[in-house]
Amino acid sequence: MALLEVENLQTHFRTPGGINRAVDGVSFHVNEGETLAIVGESGCGKSVTSMSLMRLIPEPPGRIAGAIRFAGRDLLQLPDREMRAIRGNDISMIFQEPMTSLNPVLTVGRQIRETLMMHQGLDKQAAEVRAIEMLTLVGIPEPKRRVREYPHQLSGGMRQRVMIAIALACNPKLLIADEPTTALDVTIQAQILKLMLDLKRRVGAAIILITHDLGVVAEIAERVMVMYAGRKVEEASVAELFRAPRHPYTQGLLGAVPRLGSSLSGASKRLAEIPGQVPDLRKPITGCVFAGRCPLVTDLCRQYAPGLEEKGPRHIAACHYAAKGAVAA
Amino acid sequence: MLSYILRRILATLPVMAIVALFVFSLLYIAPGDPAVVIAGDQASPEDVERIRQSLGLDRPFLIQFGDWVWRILHGDLGTSIFTNLPVSAMIGQRLGPTLSLMTVTLLLTIVVAVPLGVVAAWKAGSLVDRAIMAFAVFGFSLPVFVVGYMLAYIFALELEWLPVQGYTPLSEGFWPWLENLILPAIALGCVYIALVARITRAAMLEVLQQDYIRTARAKGLGQGGILFIHALKNAAVPIVTVIGIGIALLIGGAVVTESVFAIPGLGRLTVDAILRRDYPVIQGIVLLFSFVYVLVNLLIDVTYTLVDPRIRY
Repeated sequence: MALLEVENLQTHFRTPGGINRAVDGVSFHVNEGETLAIVGESGCGKSVTSMSLMRLIPEPPGRIAGAIRFAGRDLLQLPDREMRAIRGNDISMIFQEPMTSLNPVLTVGRQIRETLMMHQGLDKQAAEVRAIEMLTLVGIPEPKRRVREYPHQLSGGMRQRVMIAIALACNPKLLIADEPTTALDVTIQAQILKLMLDLKRRVGAAIILITHDLGVVAEIAERVMVMYAGRKVEEASVAELFRAPRHPYTQGLLGAVPRLGSSLSGASKRLAEIPGQVPDLRKPITGCVFAGRCPLVTDLCRQYAPGLEEKGPRHIAACHYAAKGAVAA
Repeated sequence: MLSYILRRILATLPVMAIVALFVFSLLYIAPGDPAVVIAGDQASPEDVERIRQSLGLDRPFLIQFGDWVWRILHGDLGTSIFTNLPVSAMIGQRLGPTLSLMTVTLLLTIVVAVPLGVVAAWKAGSLVDRAIMAFAVFGFSLPVFVVGYMLAYIFALELEWLPVQGYTPLSEGFWPWLENLILPAIALGCVYIALVARITRAAMLEVLQQDYIRTARAKGLGQGGILFIHALKNAAVPIVTVIGIGIALLIGGAVVTESVFAIPGLGRLTVDAILRRDYPVIQGIVLLFSFVYVLVNLLIDVTYTLVDPRIRY
């Protein structure tokens, strides 16, 4: 059953240069306990999508339209007060920058207690006990000492663990992780990913993982949605997407992943890049959003935007030539 | 921490020594000869010379200075040339009203200016923000005596809500004491409130851009909790600094305010002493104000450690 259903989400920003359509008509769903990855390069609208789900986009200059149904309720129609009761409680979020996402002048314990006292109605003592429990759960040694410490006394990996502890303290149904490992070094990345998977199994939360790291996607996601220029261009199960990417953009993304040791085995090839740049989102785009950079582009692509079509088993992509692309891959 | 405070107090000694030297030199830098002033218009040159000798003004500068410092260290600020009373006693009498006025002004400023600044930053660019900032510019540009007389005219003479002038000691009751201080505190606080509100807004604007504010929102916190707990504590360092610096403003403003509202405080004493060239009194007051200011600075530095755990000495 779908826990979250997003329908025709449009998040636009008013800017001096015109309306920036950061997210333009994106629909997707997340099932209970499922992990959905949203993939795309910088500026494709994946972070704006996640912020829109939480209604954390400042309005104005932003404007969110469409429908975001969470457990049957449209979040966009809720009054602020009810939305606040959902944030940090039913849906919580982990951010990319663990170094700056914690408040430097409040103790770690205080920052974990806050959500517990607000959403679960715990008193200070009970919240403190639970905060220590959460720190233990996310693998922070000496939790009794750490709750009294300030963020600057912790390393980046530790801080991200604290963020996870805060996010999971109220047993959310949905966890949105916006590039949770990008700012961490590789060994810590693996630890944090493993931790998220462990906790997901324990708590049973669904996860929306926002990333540009396809390695991370293969590691923990079940389903992938590829975004480009504020639109969804492809969606499939992880196995299916890696086996047979249909959209030329997805193919490009997969081709741009370096393979470790390829030069030793003699299989070394020049890393494929996607030439060109993301189109200016302040100008209306006719035709396919990827037309300017696509190797398969034709006049048809420049004139008519392709719709999302079923290209394989539970596999959709927005490309006039997707079938051909699949063969080419 | 304690050793830091001790070290800081020790470090104030050279500062105070320099201030003392400067204050003492006033007597030599300023035009006019105290001996002539004391002797009066009718005095003969011999009279003046006699007075000069009796005051020890004929001795070398450094000897006089050393003697003066020695006496100050023993709690003797000298004797007023004009009233023949000990300077410490004169200051003691006048300390209460000035301290009261400054405390009330300080509290009023914090209570009014900080929330104004916070709201202005939260509603940045809106009509509310512009109104608050316009008020701040207005408050900044009006001299204390203009505001003072306006307030006295409206609230004391026309509406008769509050007394026009004067001072009642706290020992005679809280309300009589406060009643007399409300208008002076508003007049004196105008500039100060404007300054603190502006700095609060600027500091808050920067803090509200930070990632941890987004985290606080994502946790489901209400606007109040975000502004006054998560943001304000982070913006506190510049705000505390400007509140401290503002105390110097208050000292200057108190002189004028006390004249406008006929408050028998240090400000009035200062003005009178200057008009009469009563050097021992001027020296005593300036020394006291410098000392207070040095202490306030120490207090600010200590407050930093309370609001920001990253600052340790």
